[in-house]
Amino acid sequence: MNFELSQDHKVLQSAVRDFVEKEIKPIAMKIDEDHMIPDTLVTKMSEMGLMGSYFPEEYGGAGLDMLSYAIVVEEVSKACGSSGVLISAHTSLANGPIYTFGTEEQKQKWLPNLNSGAKIGCFLLTEPNAGSDAGGTATMYKREGNEFVINGGKIFITNGGYLGTGILFASFDRSLKHKGISAFIVDLQSPGVTILKNENKMGIRGSYTTAFAFDNLRVPVENLLGKEGKGFNIAMDTLNGGRIGIASQALGIAEGAFERALAYSKERKQFDQAICEFQAIQFKLADMYARIETSKLMIYKAAWMKDNKMNYTMESAMCKMLASEAATYVTKEAMQIFGGYGFICDYEIERMYRDAKITEIYEGTNEVQRVVISKMLLA
Amino acid sequence: MKILVCIKQVPDLESRFKPDAAGVWFSDTDLAFRMNEYDEYAVEQAVRLREQLGDSAELTVLSIGPDRVVEAVKKALAMGCDRAVHVQDTAVHLKDPWQIASIIAAYAGDQGFDLIFTGMQSQDRGSAQVGVSLAEQLGVACATTLVGFEYADGAITAKRELEGGIKGVVKLRTPVLVTCQLGLNTPRYPTLPNIMKAKRKEITAIPVAELLKEEARTTATSFHHPAKKGSGLILEGDVGDLVEKVIGILKEKTSVLR
Repeated sequence: MNFELSQDHKVLQSAVRDFVEKEIKPIAMKIDEDHMIPDTLVTKMSEMGLMGSYFPEEYGGAGLDMLSYAIVVEEVSKACGSSGVLISAHTSLANGPIYTFGTEEQKQKWLPNLNSGAKIGCFLLTEPNAGSDAGGTATMYKREGNEFVINGGKIFITNGGYLGTGILFASFDRSLKHKGISAFIVDLQSPGVTILKNENKMGIRGSYTTAFAFDNLRVPVENLLGKEGKGFNIAMDTLNGGRIGIASQALGIAEGAFERALAYSKERKQFDQAICEFQAIQFKLADMYARIETSKLMIYKAAWMKDNKMNYTMESAMCKMLASEAATYVTKEAMQIFGGYGFICDYEIERMYRDAKITEIYEGTNEVQRVVISKMLLA
Repeated sequence: MKILVCIKQVPDLESRFKPDAAGVWFSDTDLAFRMNEYDEYAVEQAVRLREQLGDSAELTVLSIGPDRVVEAVKKALAMGCDRAVHVQDTAVHLKDPWQIASIIAAYAGDQGFDLIFTGMQSQDRGSAQVGVSLAEQLGVACATTLVGFEYADGAITAKRELEGGIKGVVKLRTPVLVTCQLGLNTPRYPTLPNIMKAKRKEITAIPVAELLKEEARTTATSFHHPAKKGSGLILEGDVGDLVEKVIGILKEKTSVLR
């Protein structure tokens, strides 16, 4: 057994860390204030190869593995949770299902532009009345000649505002519930696609969260992903991988807050000593670090299992659950260590506190993760 | 054209250093390591020259040290070096700059390198001797502390940083060795696709015993934290009292006033 990263993974980790330190960290606060990741940063992240880390080189990916991808999202999220989820949703939820379920023609057509970051990907599953219960999908499609015609709407779509390439889920018969759902690859610049709004949010404010309406959106039949009626399975499989990405985002947010809190506890003096000399603070640091390390081990294990083609459903659910709860815990304690300063926007801890919460909710709420884990235990 | 760039892996300078068991160097337990900053400028400049010359050039990166230095070597490969040499040495920290230079010279001697890049100095030992000693041992010209570099028609034009903010420009014909200083360039990031490509590049491992012939000329005898200085004394009061107090202290604790 070996818990060390390989030399290649260490090279990657330090390369991404240097990139984040120079290119993302200095503007993370501005990204939050502006509700926008600047296009120049998206371009730089694309040139760095962060948008297609684990897909083969023949499709324009970097050819690395899932563990490399987890490290990328973690390192980016240490500085900026918004940039972390941009990469995670794009890679896991758009590139991922096309690579896993697409035909050779579909992979050749769509993946190079996604892996290079020329198009930003998104995953269009959630609807006003279909969140955790994706079987309730009310966006409908029917076939007309060589096209599918789609009508309905989607909400809370991460990266939607880029109008890039989407994986869209729609039903041909609502009474079939999840068995009526199919998946389509959609160019979101097509006629019939309307952005209703980009949401104003508590956290990850630099990330687009978009509501869409589809009015007679016409999609060529060759854009059907997988078989008709198999959309739900595609969505669930995709979210398995996505959870590793979101867990890595949560881990990065927690680590970013922890690093700052640890440093601050050594600098800040009260009663003539650094506050890290007080056991009340020492215990906080110990609890925070233990949760971070536990999450990291589970994330790296889940990624390693995916790389080794093992069934990683349970581990991906556990790592998402552990890391997101570590993120909300660690950012909360970090703010307590910072005291009043933590509540002031200049110190970034409040941003991390706000960014952390969503990781317990999206990519399957933590309640759904517990359902997944317990179902497998009792199966 | 054959180009060589020599790099060293050094500890992250933010680390907390402790003496090793022998008390002659720092302990590398729990330290994070990275490529020496000045060597990054050397790699970047070498890669730019490699790109300028295209496939008529071959760029080799060399590093001496234990297995972990391969991480720095792989970074250099991902930045654009063609191939690598890892001189395996778990006791590299005990060798002096002359010996280090002799190891590289023993490797490079019959390889016919036209241009050799090194950093100006390492961030840990900081002797700034390896580059110049290597040029001496190979019998080639050298220019140090480069902040500008151009190559054309078998000659380099090097802008050197001199004392007091003065710059000097020298022109040298190859073969030549240069040492690189902060300000020469901005090193590129190794991109993910290039990290992947680097995995397929050749890394030749050579045990140091095959190359080391020279004795050390200097030895580190002790490695320790500086002695703690006493805290300063702050005197308060009006000027007359302060003068009295200072004179009292000078008489009592120094030989300045008798």
